[in-house]
Amino acid sequence: MSSVNLDQNLNTAATVHAAEHHDEGEHRLFGFIVFLISESVIFLSFFVGYIVYKTSATDWLPAGVEGLEVREPLINTIVLVSSSFVIYFAERFLHKENLWGFRAFWLLTMAMGSFFLYGQAVEWAGLPFSFTDGLFGGTFYLLTGFHGLHVLTGVLMQGVMLGRSFIPGNYDDGEVGVAATSLFWHFVDVIWIILFILIYVWQ
Amino acid sequence: MNIRVLLRLAALAGIMAPISLWIGQLSYSWMPEPASAEALLVDDLFSFLTTLGTFIFLGVVGTLLYSVLFQRAARYDEGDGPPIEGNLTLEIVWTAIPIVLVIWIAGYSYKIYDEMGILGPMEHMHMGEAIAAPLTTQASTEPEPIEVHARQWVWEFYYPEAGVTSTELHLPNNTRAKLALTSEDVLHGFFVPAFRVKQDIIPGRKIDFEFTPIREGVYRLRDSQYSGTYFAAMQANVVVESPEAYQQWLHDVAARSPQPGLNPSYDEYQVKVENRENRPGWKTVTPAPAPLVNFPGSPELPVPRL
Amino acid sequence: MTDLSLETAPKREQPVPGEPENWRRFFSFSTDHKVIGIQYMVVAFVFFLIGGFLAMVMRGELITPEADLIDRTVYNALFTMHGTIMLFMWTFPVLNGLANYLVPLQIGARDMAFPRLNAVAFWLVPVFGVILMASFLVPGGPAQAGWWSYPPVSLQNPTGNLINGQFLWILAVALSGISSIMGGVNIVTTIIRMRAPGMTFFKMPVFCWAVAAAQTIQLFGLPALTAGAVMLLFDLTVGTSFFDPAKGGDPVLFQHFFWFYSHPAVYVIILPVFGIFSEVFPVYARKPLFGYHFVAVSSFVITGLSAIVWVHHMFASGTPGWMRMLFMATSMAISVPTGVKIFAWVATIWGGKIRLTTPMLFALGGLVNFLFAGITGIMLAAVPFDIHVNNTYFVVGHFHYVIYGAAVMGIYAAIYHWFPKMTGRMYYEGLGKLHFVLTFAGVALNFVPMHFAGLMGMPRRVASYDPEFAYWNVLASLGGFLLGVSTLPFLLNMISSWIQGEKAPANPWRAIGLEWLVASPPPHENFAEIPTVVSAPYGYGKNEPLIASQASTELASELS
Repeated sequence: MSSVNLDQNLNTAATVHAAEHHDEGEHRLFGFIVFLISESVIFLSFFVGYIVYKTSATDWLPAGVEGLEVREPLINTIVLVSSSFVIYFAERFLHKENLWGFRAFWLLTMAMGSFFLYGQAVEWAGLPFSFTDGLFGGTFYLLTGFHGLHVLTGVLMQGVMLGRSFIPGNYDDGEVGVAATSLFWHFVDVIWIILFILIYVWQ
Repeated sequence: MNIRVLLRLAALAGIMAPISLWIGQLSYSWMPEPASAEALLVDDLFSFLTTLGTFIFLGVVGTLLYSVLFQRAARYDEGDGPPIEGNLTLEIVWTAIPIVLVIWIAGYSYKIYDEMGILGPMEHMHMGEAIAAPLTTQASTEPEPIEVHARQWVWEFYYPEAGVTSTELHLPNNTRAKLALTSEDVLHGFFVPAFRVKQDIIPGRKIDFEFTPIREGVYRLRDSQYSGTYFAAMQANVVVESPEAYQQWLHDVAARSPQPGLNPSYDEYQVKVENRENRPGWKTVTPAPAPLVNFPGSPELPVPRL
Repeated sequence: MTDLSLETAPKREQPVPGEPENWRRFFSFSTDHKVIGIQYMVVAFVFFLIGGFLAMVMRGELITPEADLIDRTVYNALFTMHGTIMLFMWTFPVLNGLANYLVPLQIGARDMAFPRLNAVAFWLVPVFGVILMASFLVPGGPAQAGWWSYPPVSLQNPTGNLINGQFLWILAVALSGISSIMGGVNIVTTIIRMRAPGMTFFKMPVFCWAVAAAQTIQLFGLPALTAGAVMLLFDLTVGTSFFDPAKGGDPVLFQHFFWFYSHPAVYVIILPVFGIFSEVFPVYARKPLFGYHFVAVSSFVITGLSAIVWVHHMFASGTPGWMRMLFMATSMAISVPTGVKIFAWVATIWGGKIRLTTPMLFALGGLVNFLFAGITGIMLAAVPFDIHVNNTYFVVGHFHYVIYGAAVMGIYAAIYHWFPKMTGRMYYEGLGKLHFVLTFAGVALNFVPMHFAGLMGMPRRVASYDPEFAYWNVLASLGGFLLGVSTLPFLLNMISSWIQGEKAPANPWRAIGLEWLVASPPPHENFAEIPTVVSAPYGYGKNEPLIASQASTELASELS
């Protein structure tokens, strides 16, 4: 009698467990969104710092620095912003279970992200001021560097997701990893748009 | 709520009110004897806050004590109390009471703040507004402010009208004291407890500061914003004297030749360096040596007056 | 669906249900929220003792006016480390531990949403604790700029070493921030997504409400501190000029970054303690929590207000008048939701059948202390008065009344209240009451005199002072030593009860709550079957079931 009941209990426990496991993906996505909101406050703080410094500093630009070149960063911006659309299409393909379509567009996103990083590195290398050159130098490298770190993280996450797509049965439990990576990518994009306006447009 | 409850509450308030008022009067004696016009206003505000606070504290703690003393469960009573989950009227009332109190306190504080007006010049000093101009290019119509220089860890005062320097602050009584605060290294704080005034000094900025001393005597100026190793030793005497005595003092001192001012932190540091083996401790920023001043002042501590 | 064996296989590293109590799990990378909760609390308490020891050395120095017991640099390092340890290594972790232990049990979940993240967040605590303590060993000693680390003092580096006390301090605080963010994400996700069926937000115990409100603050506040700390670190190490006025930087901006987080951080500490009060009073007064909805929602009102009050720490630091008035108003507004809570607790106790057990005593003592601290808090919000007492011992007395008088006493209440649940043993009531008397008296003797010293004009953070303050300082020092002594009966009680205390039943207090429906200590994964909640919490005197009757539990009682 009791063993039968125990079996029943185990069975209910098993279904409950399975249901909970299915929820786990959604928990993760929810938790990730919470994390992103929190992360955005760091950027917000840096932005506020930048605005305060820019509006209050007596000597904002370091000696001999006129301002920033906008053309190349603008190309960079267009590439990064478009990659947000590309990653969206990648997700659509995955949704339709077209794995190769997903991988192609996913890889294209990674390429565009890498191009952005390359462009950023080229810009950094050509600048006449350094991290320690006054408030402008400090905030410029802090903001672009911290953002660049996020782009790099995004590309690495995309690499992992790409690799995982070759594991059979990877998407049986949902596509949380891909969804989160994509969300992160959009986040990095939005941050860049604000950053671009603050640093390059508002000079 | 019936009449008896109301009467009982009124009776309790009648007991609590005199006690609160008494504590409120007592609170004047908890601070040094007020020596500035601002201090009188601050003390009134504090007394008011203490009275109100005492009343609230007595009310809440009294209620709690009554419960704890007279509403205990009997030894073997396993039962529960009445399942009262709330009372909307009561809840609205006790949300409204703090709101009203807070508006009252904030309004009164604002009034006092307005009357003090010591910090008027602060209005012009927005964040990051660095004063690049030399300190002396002030409007010529106003008397030039006394310059207060803070550095690790000594106060130095410069009286532009007589070209005099000192390590003891002299102020004329019943006259608006105008100071220009500057720091050469880190944050410091200008704080004279007897005047109830305080202002952080931010390096790279000149901060105008005003108040009115109203009682002759010797008081203590203390650094109120932590400034490193010898922070606690960064104190100076403030001498408030009659305007005539003040002018006389300026005149006398102007004739004196410069000599090292008071600087207890540097003296203490010298002792420490000499006895390095005996006094364990970590490396510190070296204190600034004593500035050369016309008038070092007295190293005696003033007798505190409460 | 995948089959059962695959589902459960990876989870078997932890003790299985029914496995005999194994002390080793407390030293392992366990992902069980109950183990992690206790790990948090024990590690935090060790640091509480360390921080308390530092405080007693400081009180030893301050018992005489001269700087004679220890060198000034040592004193400055001590108060810096004392503040840092007590906040980042004691109150945050111990409350995280309580939240970890209680939240899943109270909302009817088997574990936290992210058990592994939970374990990582915990294990960071000893890591940054060791980093912080290691700063005593570097040349130049630990950070000596206070726990605020205001530049430019924090940027002064007399030894010239790259790895100095301040550097390690920033590193430790940054790691603490990462750990807290992990914890915050985990706890918020757990509370929002893992509640048992039927447990709507307004059927949730107030402790969970308060923890959710507190962790929300961590999530929006900590990043600001992190941003400030990163900039400070660059100033210190590579020589950028963010906060260095000598290079055109703005030291006041750091204060904004710092207090934007560090004032709300006080609510991160006090909100869960409000939650504890709300749990403890109904149990020992045998009455439902008065005005449950008001109490629950007011936590989030406090969270909202906490984001717009930080400048009241900077009334004296170059703040324009309009800002002073604005932040005076917002700071005072905080007293409305807290006042509502205090009145609600008093009304809960009023007319109840009160039982003065140790947790009840600590909660009552904490409430009285909090009331006192709240009143001095409103005084501090009044700008003209704050100008006088800002950065004096009045402030030190005030916030120690909040942190020790209210928060630590509330934490003690929680530890005693849930001790039977956590350990399966009863504590000794006599020792508990002795502990309460010593703590309450110690708090009063230590921290009330500080208010008077501050009113007279004694600045905080001083290693020496004018003889006029000696009287109050002697009293405060004696109180400090008394508080040191007060931890002895607590330690004795906890250790001996855990080893050989009387076995605790599932619900020794006849309390209402999901955590009291499971065995003491609760089995692995807490609930054999997730309960369905049918009534609001705190249904004392109402004789209604908390959860829908379950086939299995009925059967179990039948069998037994």
